[in-house]
Amino acid sequence: MEIVCFASGVNGLHPRQGLQDLKQAGFDKLVLDFGWLSNVHESTLTIGRIAKKPPRSWLSLHPEAVAKVTAPYVEKFVAAGFSLPLAWAPYIGWLKDEVEAKVDLTDILTDFVTACLPVAGKAGCRYMAVSPLAPELIGSRELWEANRAYYLRLGAAARPYGVQLLLKGRCRNQNGRAVRGVGTDENMTAQWIDALNKEVGAEVFGYCLDVGIASVCGQNMYDLAVTMGHRLKAVILREASNVWGGSLLPFSLARGGESQTDWLNLIRGLRRIDFDGQLIMNCGDTLAAFSPLLRPDVLCLAKKTADYIAWQVKMEQLLAKYDTRVLFGAGNMCRNYLKCYGEQYPPLFTCDNDPAKWGTKFCGLEVRAPECLLDLPEDCAVFICNTYYRDIEEQLREMGLKNPVEFFNDEFMPSFYFERLEELAEGGAETC
Amino acid sequence: MLKLGVQTQGVIDDENPLEGFAMISRAGFSCVDFSLHGYLKNTDIYESRLNNFFDAPLAELKEFFTPHKEAAKAYGIAIHQMHMPYPIYQPKGKREVNEYLWQQVAPKSMELCAFLECRYIVVHGFKLQKYLGSEEAEWRETERFLDSILPLAKEHGIVVCLENLYDEVAGHIVEGSCAKAERVAERIDRINEKYQTEVLGFCFDMGHANLLGLDAESFLVTLGRRLKVLHLHDNDGLCDLHQIPFTFTRDRTNKASTDWEGLVRGLSKIQFDGVLNFETAPALTPFPVCMKADVLRFIGCIGEYLAGEIRRIGLTKEE
Repeated sequence: MEIVCFASGVNGLHPRQGLQDLKQAGFDKLVLDFGWLSNVHESTLTIGRIAKKPPRSWLSLHPEAVAKVTAPYVEKFVAAGFSLPLAWAPYIGWLKDEVEAKVDLTDILTDFVTACLPVAGKAGCRYMAVSPLAPELIGSRELWEANRAYYLRLGAAARPYGVQLLLKGRCRNQNGRAVRGVGTDENMTAQWIDALNKEVGAEVFGYCLDVGIASVCGQNMYDLAVTMGHRLKAVILREASNVWGGSLLPFSLARGGESQTDWLNLIRGLRRIDFDGQLIMNCGDTLAAFSPLLRPDVLCLAKKTADYIAWQVKMEQLLAKYDTRVLFGAGNMCRNYLKCYGEQYPPLFTCDNDPAKWGTKFCGLEVRAPECLLDLPEDCAVFICNTYYRDIEEQLREMGLKNPVEFFNDEFMPSFYFERLEELAEGGAETC
Repeated sequence: MLKLGVQTQGVIDDENPLEGFAMISRAGFSCVDFSLHGYLKNTDIYESRLNNFFDAPLAELKEFFTPHKEAAKAYGIAIHQMHMPYPIYQPKGKREVNEYLWQQVAPKSMELCAFLECRYIVVHGFKLQKYLGSEEAEWRETERFLDSILPLAKEHGIVVCLENLYDEVAGHIVEGSCAKAERVAERIDRINEKYQTEVLGFCFDMGHANLLGLDAESFLVTLGRRLKVLHLHDNDGLCDLHQIPFTFTRDRTNKASTDWEGLVRGLSKIQFDGVLNFETAPALTPFPVCMKADVLRFIGCIGEYLAGEIRRIGLTKEE
């Protein structure tokens, strides 16, 4: 799984410091954001901030200049040691009645995005996320037919450069409210992707899940991820308010001590499909809200947060990495492990620091003293099932344990311990 | 011909149902959505606080509701639909509470539905996805519950209606049970096939759809003939407020932030000919009591407007 970041906090004219901050935070992959480079802002989630009538000099009206204008930025990114695995296509956010009636905005947009593709290809982008055409842009034309033509034209332009195009959902503006727009219906979008790929005879199209959009629309991200399955290539990590949008650091849009984004269903879904694509951090608004003096620290947290989400998604792969394993901890986390993974990845035993538990069984699993770990074969991993991770890891190392020590975490389990329903139906069941 | 309906909650007084039905009739409604759920409130169920209303033998309950039934008849009002108390399963509730809900409240609600000559009863699916891991797993439990009441539905000629629900993550609205039209349609068809009659239908809740930013038109078109009843009400897109349609705006265009036009198009496309039912009891309480009749009348006017629009679009299409 790749961790990629939007070039948040990077000043276009003086990019050195911003790039250095990103590098020091641990990011080495960036999004090549043509929307930002061309100063064209997508209207999605920026309700009330839709761009005014653009000056004629805007890059979207001069696609022939895209390569020349963007080249210096790409060079600086690459020179600073960043790779650019994903490009972000521009979108025209103006209202149709703000340009001359004779101008076909879809043609302008198609030419603009097409001009970005060679730049993306040469910069090494494997994917370009491209918003579908919204009804306000296509007028009376049928949505699928207009988008089919749009994506097929872009697909033909992308193939020589080996760039795969990722469809993504967008919001619709219902008189100031962001509601579900084109690309948010997972079944329909999956059908579109399959139809497009079938038509071109290759896997040219995929999907990019934007957590901010899905959250604003209250979508079930488990269903979204599972329906998209192999089509899902990139996930934009951000939190967004359904009042004012935004791109906030994951877990920061909190209320009552809990994030308002449904990370549980997202991680469940990504884990279920063994997602191994790109996780794209987009926390531009959080970053901008902090003093420039604090931004390097915010970026460090952003990197750690992305790593954490990747680790959660790969939890099952981590369990599968070892042929044998034991647990440390005989409490709720151990019980959750056994419920969800005990059958597929059975532990040899668990241990606990509480001598009263030694020699007993917890949910059918033998509880031993920590010293027993010293007798384990060297490739057997110890999974700590207790929130005092660092304490316990230190304890094990101080004991002289050489075995791999891993952390297990039950915050985002495929399901939670819950058997009362069966009890109700069947008149009582044995629980541990 | 579309009819208009409104919730009985907040209007019908158990001591004198005649007065409430008179007010409903004068406001232009010919149907009601009988608020059975008002006799065992969801807020109490969440706290495992059960009153003893449904403890009473069925005969006693029927006797209790006989004045309501007669008052409705006296004013020519049909008890078109009712709402079963909800939730009917509380994941964090005590076992005895859940047993009571499932084994007492649900079947007695079905019997009362039949007694009141009400054709449709709306039920909520379970909210268990967090625990069980997926909406499919959650649905299996809802279906198990449905299987416990659908034989009664078949016996009494009642259609149990599932409703599109929302859930919350730290106060943020996310999809709940029955929020996906395609899945709902497949499940309704399969279950009706199993029971060899139409025992299951759908209640489209416009307010809940708005909270999720759902495309009402597309949802309704997918449902088609499976749509049996409506819950029409408005909100700010953030909280399930059950207010009067067209109440909310979000920006200085001052246009409705709820997609009422989509609702009208959807109902027109599927040629809905049922009841435009308003689940707007909470919209009555902020007004002074002396204005209740006027507020109800205003809701009735909105119903007439929507019915006219649905008819107009339908006629335009035919032309």
